Amino acid sequence: MSWIREGELNLLERFSANVLKAGPMPKHVAFIMDGNRRFARKKNMECLKGHMQGFNKLAETLRWCKHLNIQEVTVYAFSIENFKRTKEEVDGLMELARQKFVKLLEERENLKKHGVCIRVLGDLNMLPLDLQQLIAKSVLTTKSHNQCFLNVCFSYTSRYEITNAVREMAWGVEEGLLKASDVSESLLNECLYSNNSPNPDLLIRTSGEVRLSDFLLWQSSHSCIVFQSVLWPEYSFWNLCEAILRYQLNYKSIQKARDLNREQQTLMQLESDCACVADLLQNHGNGKPVDAQRRQEALQHYISCREERIQDFLQALKHKRDSYFSDLWREDASS
Amino acid sequence: MSLLYGLLWRFLLALVHANRGLVSWFRVRLPCWKDGLWQGIRTALLLPLTLIGVSDQPKKRHQNPGDTGTGAVGRSWRWQSDLACLEKLPVHIGLLVTEEELSYTDIATLVVWCMAVGISYISVYDTCGIFQKKNSCVLEEIIRQQQELLGVDPVKYNVGTLSSDSDSLQHHVVSCRPTVKLLSSEDGKQRIVQAAQQLCRSVEKKVMSSKDINVSMLDIILRDSRKIPDPDLVLKFGPVDSTLGFLPWHIRLTEFISLPSHKNVSYEQLLGALQRYGSCHQRLGQ
Repeated sequence: MSWIREGELNLLERFSANVLKAGPMPKHVAFIMDGNRRFARKKNMECLKGHMQGFNKLAETLRWCKHLNIQEVTVYAFSIENFKRTKEEVDGLMELARQKFVKLLEERENLKKHGVCIRVLGDLNMLPLDLQQLIAKSVLTTKSHNQCFLNVCFSYTSRYEITNAVREMAWGVEEGLLKASDVSESLLNECLYSNNSPNPDLLIRTSGEVRLSDFLLWQSSHSCIVFQSVLWPEYSFWNLCEAILRYQLNYKSIQKARDLNREQQTLMQLESDCACVADLLQNHGNGKPVDAQRRQEALQHYISCREERIQDFLQALKHKRDSYFSDLWREDASS
Repeated sequence: MSLLYGLLWRFLLALVHANRGLVSWFRVRLPCWKDGLWQGIRTALLLPLTLIGVSDQPKKRHQNPGDTGTGAVGRSWRWQSDLACLEKLPVHIGLLVTEEELSYTDIATLVVWCMAVGISYISVYDTCGIFQKKNSCVLEEIIRQQQELLGVDPVKYNVGTLSSDSDSLQHHVVSCRPTVKLLSSEDGKQRIVQAAQQLCRSVEKKVMSSKDINVSMLDIILRDSRKIPDPDLVLKFGPVDSTLGFLPWHIRLTEFISLPSHKNVSYEQLLGALQRYGSCHQRLGQ
């Protein structure tokens, strides 16, 4: 089955989509595609068949999202915790992923036509090398596409992602690019695997479970979270519409909370900058009192230096991450 | 055409709002209605159950425990019998209030009920951190209601805020008494940022290398060495379907159950939510 589904919505679907689109629409939707195995059990199928149906549903959902002007979708495909499953199932899932990424590379022309950019978020080092190389190839091939974005969380947990971001910042400190005091909420945001995406507006979990299971914990702190009882392979256009309607009902309150959070962040950053400047002046001024104007100048200078440091660091981090992928590709080509 | 769609959208939204309003009106005004009738109304309103979360109790309401002077013995028997019908009890519960208007009395009542059924850690959160700022009001109210509802010596329970000095809270671990924490958004992402700064400072001083940083190291720092487990259950009050910044690190495996409002919440609603939590099974990735 292909990654891209062609086809228009039917008349009723199109009408409903147009009504929904009159309201605020989510730009980025995240899915926990839960219920593949329960679906398989229900239908007396093999477990892996259920996962395959799940993938087909993903392709269909992407088509709906496209018609609903949702440019970005993030899905939880495989958690680091899932490595605990039986060897048979894990191997089966890896094989399914292999097939899907091979298929993706075959469909590159079609992906280009639709401008689909695919990113894989997670610790790829835990995967078999050939799969890593396939993923690297897929990511690099679709890198420049900018119509719609699909983020596949593979070998991912949110705690691991946050820890990795902290590790990257610590690396920056080690390299002398950053100071420990430069660490902030927005910098941590930039160091996550998801740094290229805005935070999801809507997070949907299917199959009736009411927890996040270590998915986008940081990014979804001001997202509308919708738990739906339908199993993922049975997910329908109308389920998606219901979730969007819930988002629209929540829109104002969540927007307000987001604004408040942004204000707090700015304030916090200013406080931290002031504290750093006060420290500097204390150390260099031999304890002499400093007048307000000099303090202000020092603050401005400090802020611009900090911003410059952060820019340089983020550049270095991007380079590091890019070269990880291109090295994988090169290795594959030479072997 | 777009004007028509816009009007239709507004109409749709108004319809859903009206539905919500009606349902909560019925719940407040007619609390004693029998199951069948109640179900009937909901079906008649064609309201998807999911839109109101688990707001409605299938059981008929009965009197709040502690309301009447049945005496401390009778009450404690009541809590015991409630406990018996629960499959499992959360060790740490989060009360997440998304409403703008807050009620100290109602939140204190909820906290006291949670203590009474035997929950060890109770975290109270609101987006603006009002409960944390006005902690003395909340704590006073909790102590007052403890005496009123449970008839116990308030000294038995410990109450503190997460941001207070960790040493002074150390004895909570040993004492095995319920601990109440009042949280704000600063205890969420900001705490993670502080932990990151702390680790980066160690790296700056060359005490450790960036490669040494791992999940459990960060987890230990964020647990504050107080060994408080992650919340097992978060009860979300109010119409907003979001965690609104509630402890992002700690809610990895937390079950979320929504209730329509923390105001005038009934003991049966809390018990119903706990029962629903009791029936949740976690597979932990397997």
